[in-house]
Amino acid sequence: MKQFLVLAAVLGLVAFGCAERKAVAPTQSQEMQQPQTQTPEGSTKAQEKITEQQMAKVESKDIHSKFEEISGMFKDIYFDYDKYDVREDAKQTLKAVADHLRKNTAQKVLIEGHCDDRGTSEYNLGLGDKRAKSAKDFIVSMGVPSSRIDTISYGKEKPVCSEHAENCWAKNRRGHFVLLKGK
Amino acid sequence: MMKLRIGHRSKLPVRRRSQSSIFFLLLPLFILYFSLFTIVEAKVYIDIASPAVRKLPIAVPEFGGTGGRELSDIIRDDLDFTGIFVCLDRNTFIESSSQPFNAKNWTVIGAEAVVKGTVSGAKNLVATVSLYDALEGREIFRKEYQTDASLLRPLAHTIANDIYRQMTGEPGIFRTRVAYVVRKGEEDSISLADWDGHRAITLGIKGNVILSPHWSKDGSRLIYSSERIRQWGIYLLDFKKMSETKVFSAKGTNIAGDFFPDADEFIFSSSMNGNQDLYTYRVSSAKLNRLTSSRGIEVSPTLSPDGSQISFISDRDGTPQLFIMGRDSHNSRRLTFNGPYNTSPSWSPRGDRIVFSGRQGGKNQVFTISPDGSGISQLTDRGNNEDPSFSPDGRYIVFSSDRDGEKAVYIMRANGEAQKRITPKGLRVFGPRWSPN
Repeated sequence: MKQFLVLAAVLGLVAFGCAERKAVAPTQSQEMQQPQTQTPEGSTKAQEKITEQQMAKVESKDIHSKFEEISGMFKDIYFDYDKYDVREDAKQTLKAVADHLRKNTAQKVLIEGHCDDRGTSEYNLGLGDKRAKSAKDFIVSMGVPSSRIDTISYGKEKPVCSEHAENCWAKNRRGHFVLLKGK
Repeated sequence: MMKLRIGHRSKLPVRRRSQSSIFFLLLPLFILYFSLFTIVEAKVYIDIASPAVRKLPIAVPEFGGTGGRELSDIIRDDLDFTGIFVCLDRNTFIESSSQPFNAKNWTVIGAEAVVKGTVSGAKNLVATVSLYDALEGREIFRKEYQTDASLLRPLAHTIANDIYRQMTGEPGIFRTRVAYVVRKGEEDSISLADWDGHRAITLGIKGNVILSPHWSKDGSRLIYSSERIRQWGIYLLDFKKMSETKVFSAKGTNIAGDFFPDADEFIFSSSMNGNQDLYTYRVSSAKLNRLTSSRGIEVSPTLSPDGSQISFISDRDGTPQLFIMGRDSHNSRRLTFNGPYNTSPSWSPRGDRIVFSGRQGGKNQVFTISPDGSGISQLTDRGNNEDPSFSPDGRYIVFSSDRDGEKAVYIMRANGEAQKRITPKGLRVFGPRWSPN
């Protein structure tokens, strides 16, 4: 298609006897400012002016949480490698979270699902999502309304331990609990 | 000069087929044009489509004038990286850029093509560049370039593109860029650099976590996932307006994939309905379409160049593996059987290969595979190598690696040669994506 545009543009020059370079400006991606060489192949004389548009800065808004967040009230729970089912040793913590939510009906909990860093980003986000949800399902099965538990996956993006060894990986494969108060 | 024209295809018949009606309308003008200027179809010196390309020996002597050395160095480095030229050692040159071209001075040192040039001006640069066929002893290309002195690198890349096109008949990628994610402390941001890593700028986009961005085919848009306010949203950067908008958000993990060819619809994965499944979303009409509904994890969808096929990751067989299916989600089949962990596929813009990251000996390595599952090839072997994707001409691959310490961006040829770091030491960088133009 680009070839065709060039051809059309060249023909246009002949037809209208006009050598205005703007006439052959690429139609796509003018923002990227990639001036194409619009000279016919085999030509021995050609000119080109190279320009580039200055890019304005974009500003991202609303990045940080609006809730009052309390971390550390509950122990992290841990998962096996590439698994997302709740382990026996996690059940005591999950029961404590369920008890707390039943007693404090104005509070919510956010469960973060995390992974070790051996996999790749996106698959690990899927795995962390599954881990947070299986922890949530367990708490819901203890009688806490589903609406009071949020989940989020951080995959391997927020490790607590950065060495490349099993004891460190095991610490990163975790579910982390954050209490949310107010709005 | 060696005339490597094996299998060279003229572009004309293709044009005629696809645009026949307009073509015939323009035919009289076409004939007029060619009779007036007697342009002959350019000779192709290197047929890069040929499986066994002989490297063409090219001489790029230092250009004359202020900035001439830097300009000619960048051109030489661009051509050298392609692997289809051998840039000859300047110490062996007999003739300088300012001396008149004498073919014998070049054939004697083995050069088949010569690029000469001079630069004048201080703030406004004017560069005159000539390309010679040393074997036939004639100039095959001459052009005058003008630019601001601050744009010396884009000037050099433009010249390299012209030389590349003259020699191969194909467009070069030397003015393309790479977008990537920079991680500093607890905050991620997106940067944009030239393909060789120079002239990096930050775009101002920030998030607690940002994932690998994806370009629209026309280069005017970038989509990426970002975690903000404890939610995974899909955001779109419009380069025409230089503004960011949140295009999709739902409870769960929402991860942007490739754009379809029309730059309005994209594919993504989301756990909004419980499990991580694949969906498409049209930006202008906000139309959501669900493609898969499995019990497992399905992520990282990538599209064939025409948008008719989808490659993605699924753990439906127990471990994460590459699969392929049609755009209608039918005819799903597994693509990878090597090793227990294959992820992050990205389709070549030429359609013939898919690049991905696979576990080998406890580390993640970059592999390519044919969409029919044949011809698997391992391209890296040091450190963890992730997030691979192709250049717009499918000849190079960009990826992230921790081989030298912190994660950084690297580029290489699509066969694994010439692996080179393009981001600076001390900067933690990942998720690179090559711009389409």
